[in-house]
Formats: sequence, C-alpha cells, structure tokens
Amino acid sequence: MISACPARYLLALLLLAPLTAHAGELSGYAEVKGTAYADQRPGRDRLGFGWGTLFTRWEEKKGDIQLTASLRGEEITTGESELAFDPADRKLRRSPLSLRDFWLRMPLGPSDDLQLGRFQLGWGKTDGYSPADAFLPRDLTDPFADEKIPLWAVRLNGYTGAFRYEAVAAPVTTPWRLPRLGGRNAPLGAGSLPPGSALDESETSPPTAGFAAVRLLAAFGDWDLGVWGRAGVRPAPLLEFRPDRATLTATGVTVPVKRRYAREEAAGLEFSRVLGSWVLRAEGAALFSRDRDLGNALIGAVSAEKHFGDGTLLVTLAGNAITPPVDAVRLYDRAILPVLIAAWNRTEEWGEWKLVWSTGLTHGDGLFKAEAGYTLSDVWKVTIGGDLPYGAEEGPFGALTTARQVYAALRRSW
Amino acid sequence: MYTTGKIRISLLRLAMAALLVMLCTGLVLAADARSILKESENRHRTKTQQYAGDLTVVNKNGKIRKKGWKSFREGYAGDAKNLIRFTDPPEVKGVGFLSLARPGGQNPDQWLYLPSMKRERRIAAQDRDGSFVGTDFNYEDMEEFDHEKYSVALQGEQTIDGNPCFVIAATPLEKGAKSVYGKKILFVRKDNLYLLREDLYRKADKEPVKRMILSDLQQIDGHWVARKMEMNDLKKGSKTTVLLKEISFNRLHPAGRFTLQNLNREGGG
Repeated sequence: MISACPARYLLALLLLAPLTAHAGELSGYAEVKGTAYADQRPGRDRLGFGWGTLFTRWEEKKGDIQLTASLRGEEITTGESELAFDPADRKLRRSPLSLRDFWLRMPLGPSDDLQLGRFQLGWGKTDGYSPADAFLPRDLTDPFADEKIPLWAVRLNGYTGAFRYEAVAAPVTTPWRLPRLGGRNAPLGAGSLPPGSALDESETSPPTAGFAAVRLLAAFGDWDLGVWGRAGVRPAPLLEFRPDRATLTATGVTVPVKRRYAREEAAGLEFSRVLGSWVLRAEGAALFSRDRDLGNALIGAVSAEKHFGDGTLLVTLAGNAITPPVDAVRLYDRAILPVLIAAWNRTEEWGEWKLVWSTGLTHGDGLFKAEAGYTLSDVWKVTIGGDLPYGAEEGPFGALTTARQVYAALRRSW
Repeated sequence: MYTTGKIRISLLRLAMAALLVMLCTGLVLAADARSILKESENRHRTKTQQYAGDLTVVNKNGKIRKKGWKSFREGYAGDAKNLIRFTDPPEVKGVGFLSLARPGGQNPDQWLYLPSMKRERRIAAQDRDGSFVGTDFNYEDMEEFDHEKYSVALQGEQTIDGNPCFVIAATPLEKGAKSVYGKKILFVRKDNLYLLREDLYRKADKEPVKRMILSDLQQIDGHWVARKMEMNDLKKGSKTTVLLKEISFNRLHPAGRFTLQNLNREGGG
C-alpha cells in the first residue's frame, strides 16, 4: 500500500500521461459527486461522502486493428479504498487507481474478430435482469450503481449470414466486490449478527481460473434468438461466517468471514420478438453447482419494452424456480429474485431522466431510483438523483434502508 | 325545339369531355408524380455513399449543442443499408445506428448500439418516433424517402429559393411499412429532380410538424448532393443542422460493415 499523498500525485501523473501522447484519440471525464444519507443517526457510519473521479481513455487504430487503454483514478472520502497494484480487481477494496480497458482487437478474417486484454462484457439490458449477464462481476461499493468490473479475457466473435457467435475465455477470476460487511451498504439481513459484534474480513485470494462462455445469436425478421453456455468459477463469493473462531474484543465479538468461490455450469436460451411497437423478450437459464450453499437454479425472465416518443418503458419480471439452500440475499447475482422491475427512461431537450422501481416479490421490499441529468453544455453535465430502498429488512432491498441516499454530481467530459 | 335539343346534346358532350379531361389530367398528374420520383431515384441512386456530418442542435431557447457522426450507406432508398457512428461529443461518442432495408416495402430493421450497454438494442419498427440521439431527427427520418411505400400525387409547382419545384404529396400506403407520419409534402427541384424540402405531417394534423430543408447543392463525383441538411421541429421550435463533409460515392465498403457484428464493435466504423 502506498501512502495517500504521494498516491494522489502518482494518480494525476499517470492519468495525465496519455495527454502527452501525439498518436491516437483521447477522451475522458472528471467528475465530483457528493452523497448524503437519509439515515443521519450519529455514529452510524458517515452521514455522507464525496467522490472524485478522473477517467482517461486512449484509442489507437491501425486499419482494422484497435488498441484501447483507459485508466480511472478516484478519491472517496470514506477512505475505504486502498491504493494497490490490482490490475484484475481481485482485492477486497477498490483501488483509487484502476485499469478499466487494455485491449487489442484484430480481425482474423472478413467476419471474425479476436479481442484480448481487459474489457467489459455486456450480455443484458440496463435496468432489467438477464440471467446471462447477472453473473458478471459487479462492484457493489455503491450498491445502487450497478457498476460492472471489466475482465481479463480473450474473445472471439464473428458472424455468418444471420448467425453470430461469441466465445469468451476469462482465464482469471475477477470477483464481485462487496461493500464493507456490516456497514450501511452490506447486503446482510437484520439479525445476522448479535448486536455489538463486528466482522473481520480478511483478504482471500480468489481462484486463479476464471470461466469460459459461448453465445450463439441469430436474427430472423422480427425474431432474435440466442443460446449460451458457460462453465467455470462463479465470480460472486459465498460468505462463510465463522462464529466458532470469534474473538472477544473491547467493543464486542469479532466474527471472521471467509469468502469462497464455487464452480458453476450454466446454459440458457433467449428469445426476443418485435410485436407491434413492443419488443418482447424471454430468457431462461439452468445453473448447476455442486456447492452446498449455492445449489442449482432455474431462472426465467420476461420483459417488455416500448418507446413512447423520447421515452422508453421497460418492465421485467424474473424469478428462480429453485429455492436456494441459503438466504438468497447472500448470493448476489440472484439476490433480488423474484423481482419485478419497471424502468422509465426519457430524453429531454435539457438532458434526460429515469425512474426505476424494483420490487422484491418474496418480502415485499423494494427500491425506487430516480435520476436526472441536466446538460449544461456539450461537455458539462449535472446529475442529481436518489436511491430509496424500503420494506422488510430480510429482503435484498429492505436490507439497505439505512443506505437511502441522495446525490449530486458535476462532470466535465473531453 | 330541334336547335335546343342539339344544344343540349352538345352541352352534354362538352360536359362529358370536360369530365374525361379532368379525370385524365388527374391520372396524368398522379402518373407524373410517380415518374418524377422514379426518375429522381434513378438519377440520384448511387451504389454507396459516405460522409462525416457536423451537427448543430439549437433548441427553442437558442441553446446550442454540437455533435458529429460518420455515415455510411450501401444501396439506396428501398434497398439501403445505413450505418451511423457518432464521433462527438464524448457522451454520445461510439453510439451506433444500423438500418437494414427489408423486402416487400416493410419497415427496415433498426438497431442502436450504446457503448455503456455494450450491446445493441432493437428499435421496434412501428415505434420510430423517438428523438435520434438528441437530434430533431427521429428513427424514421434517418431513412431515405422510398416512394414505393407511398401513394403520390402531384399537387402543383412552387419556387423554393429561386428554384422551380414540383410539389408532391406522399401518403403512406401502410401496407407492409408503418409510418409515424400521415403525409409528406415533397418539393423536388424541376431541373435536376433533387429533393429540396420535405414537410412532414403527423396523422390527423393539418399543419406540418417538421420541415426538412436540403441546400448548398454541389456535384461530387458526378452526383448532386446537398451539403446542408436542416431538420426543423416546428412544434418544439428546435432545429438540427447537418453539414456534410468528406463526401464520397461508389467506394466499396469493407465486407461486414452493415452487420450487427460491426455495430457492436466498440470503436468500430
């Protein structure tokens, strides 16, 4: 770990370094964000925090070959991030400096591409739920942000006629990043621990091996069809609370928590059809694991999307037909199931706004999200928003009621 | 009495002849509108086209936003394939739009690629009224006018910026394809049959909701092209102007440019 002050200098230096490069194309943004919690009880974590981000992206193209690199530097006033060399995001806490992209793409033929390096995958809809996409690692430092973590991987994709294929191998596991357990943002239900107890999270090394996935997609007129399969290490951790190894401290009992990662095989089907002015989707997936805590899953999701002028309504219903062996809240990628999500996005002359309502169908808890982005100019933008979880604390959303927050951010892009 | 009868017969013949002439004139005008548009398509059809566009969006309060895109086309009108990739500003950079014509006069297949999502999103053919990436164009406006999807009628002539034009009313046939508009009035320059203006009427509206104006005509590679394209939203009071540069015609596109594979290619052209 590097001490904070030199770290900031190093951060600025590294992020600004590409500006001196003459070749390639540069883009990026700087953002400051302030968040205040609605739950202002003294002694309950912090009452709010600030978040500063500097992001730089560099692209170089030579014919059909493309090289892309991007870095993100940030400062969070909670002080939870620790500067570390963590190029695969395998550490417990996020580093102030993060490599977001570092990939090379080259054509292998007129219709086939090879991409290798670090990049982000997207197999689902924003503000929806897709079993194909849900397992991909997220950073839950802000549990409402749905921030994906890029992966080190090799991807081969191409097409022939109406068919497309995509084969991905991620040789290293990039795990889900969880917030500090026991804090406001930790998705642990009430009553998990006795009052006054604390959790001791120690760094655990996720498995070296990652996963491999294959997707086949086809478009026939108004129909889009897809099949996929994957096998390997599931990047969401399984938590092992060890009360048998609890220690007594001056403030109470400290319980060690270990993380382990299960292997899982999965296969799925996707259908999508344009019906009038609606786009209807259905997805089904079977997930197999021999892990005692994870078990198998049979996940289905249906969604309907419709545009209303400059607005889009997306309604998604998703569920798991198999009850998991442990509390679903601790399974992360399927924690919110069964769920109904309604998302309304709209573009305005001044910017855009969105409203998302997610409701858990087991405990009746839910989450209201609202966000509005006001475009000051082509490069300046102000965003305000809020996340309002509610309901039973046993539910995935209700467990976060003390993390209700409002925020405002100012971004300058280039 | 006989004379009166003869006069009556003559008047009847005259009336019938006049009716016939009116009917025939109507048919000729209708046929003319179609043949004008066919000839216009024949003259301006190119195998391919590509250009870089500088966009300026001005809202009713005068607030200006600038965007940039690169546009690639193969085919024309009813058999066109289009790819648009935004290059500027940063918040829309990389956004891609693919439109592939479908046979039988149906609406084209359209997809939008958003870099933040890392995958494409299909645009439902019957719901293409949304603003195209914050401009005054909607998804239907991004298609070239295909007269075969419309019943057309010549309405007369009018001079636009000193250029005599045919005025043609086009009403969607609504057979295979559905339009967000109820009527389009086209102003086609008489000398070179180039479209100079398009007034767009929503269904049941008597006044146009939008007006597209094409100007600054130049010949490039032997083809007429308007270097300035202006879409006015008459209801909102906003305007999007596209200035075309780096225009070229009939250059072969790389294989696979107009595919979903390429649309999803992050940073791809």
